[in-house]
Amino acid sequence: MPLTPYQILAPVVSFLALAYAWNLVMRKKKSILEACFWTIFWGAIAAIALDPSILHYLSRLTGIANQENAVIVTFLGILFFMVFYLVMRLEELERKYTKIVRSLALRQSGMEGGNKEDKANKEDKGNKEFTGRA
Amino acid sequence: MILAVIPAYNEEGRIAQVVAAAKRYVDAVLVVDDGSTDRTAECAVQAGARIVSHAQNCGAGAATMTGLDAARMLGAQIVVTLDADGQHDPQEIPLLLKPIQEDKADIVFANRFGRKNIIPLVRRVFNGIGNVLTLFVTGKWVSDSQCGFKVFGPTALREIDLRMSGFEFCTEIVREAAEHKWRIEEIPTKVLYSEYTLAKGQSFANGIKTALRILLRSFLR
Repeated sequence: MPLTPYQILAPVVSFLALAYAWNLVMRKKKSILEACFWTIFWGAIAAIALDPSILHYLSRLTGIANQENAVIVTFLGILFFMVFYLVMRLEELERKYTKIVRSLALRQSGMEGGNKEDKANKEDKGNKEFTGRA
Repeated sequence: MILAVIPAYNEEGRIAQVVAAAKRYVDAVLVVDDGSTDRTAECAVQAGARIVSHAQNCGAGAATMTGLDAARMLGAQIVVTLDADGQHDPQEIPLLLKPIQEDKADIVFANRFGRKNIIPLVRRVFNGIGNVLTLFVTGKWVSDSQCGFKVFGPTALREIDLRMSGFEFCTEIVREAAEHKWRIEEIPTKVLYSEYTLAKGQSFANGIKTALRILLRSFLR
């Protein structure tokens, strides 16, 4: 059976995305759980591209047989993603806020630069100055 | 140098006793005042502790992180952490220090369930859930993973890097131990629950929030 350009492109993109995700795990920048989530996501993209009949099976399994249901499920998915994104942003803001409070506390106690993040920032700054990077 | 780090939030009634008791077993005591609105910092200083104060309340995890950073700055080799509400008995500090001093462990966890202690059922359930969640996200079983009474040896103190600011930091410590392959020891200890400590502890809602945060932050990490 001849493959369409999409059926070639989708698995290639999925493979590259997965290679990148697991590379981040190796470098300890992402958790294994997160990489598993992306593996399922990109795996599904590649599988549906190679065998579109999977969608018929999914339609039977989920009961999403008409367009109205599909629209509702899609919007629920988008809302879920938005809430997830907002939670992530809040977590990030809380982390930054905590970092400022902690640095300030150490500085006021005469222990400036004591935390690991401060040291890492200083070392990074030093490296940039040394190598002339902006 | 052996340093005791005590994260404290609104503990003016207990902190002086805890500092005075801990001082007998360590070289110095550091209290991290986590944005208290009472006289916690003043009482701690009067009792002979060194103090680092957060301008705002950030959580037990953030206070512990600040304490560990300060300990590194002060040149401490071993750090003992204990709660400010007096539920841990400082007399047991030497017991927890022993495996570190004998170079048998990098981190020592107190185990409140290893002895016949009077612990309310709801506390046992909360801690059990905490242990199971910790096992789920770290792959490591610790009998009392949520206990604040711990000892960090030189390796653990050098390598630890905490990011979670709330009570979920206890789980993060177990994960750090698993990631860095620290040698772990667990020592059964006494626990002194009173109406005060029970009222200060985590509520059911807080427990749920902590559990969700452990899962969420494990995913985001």
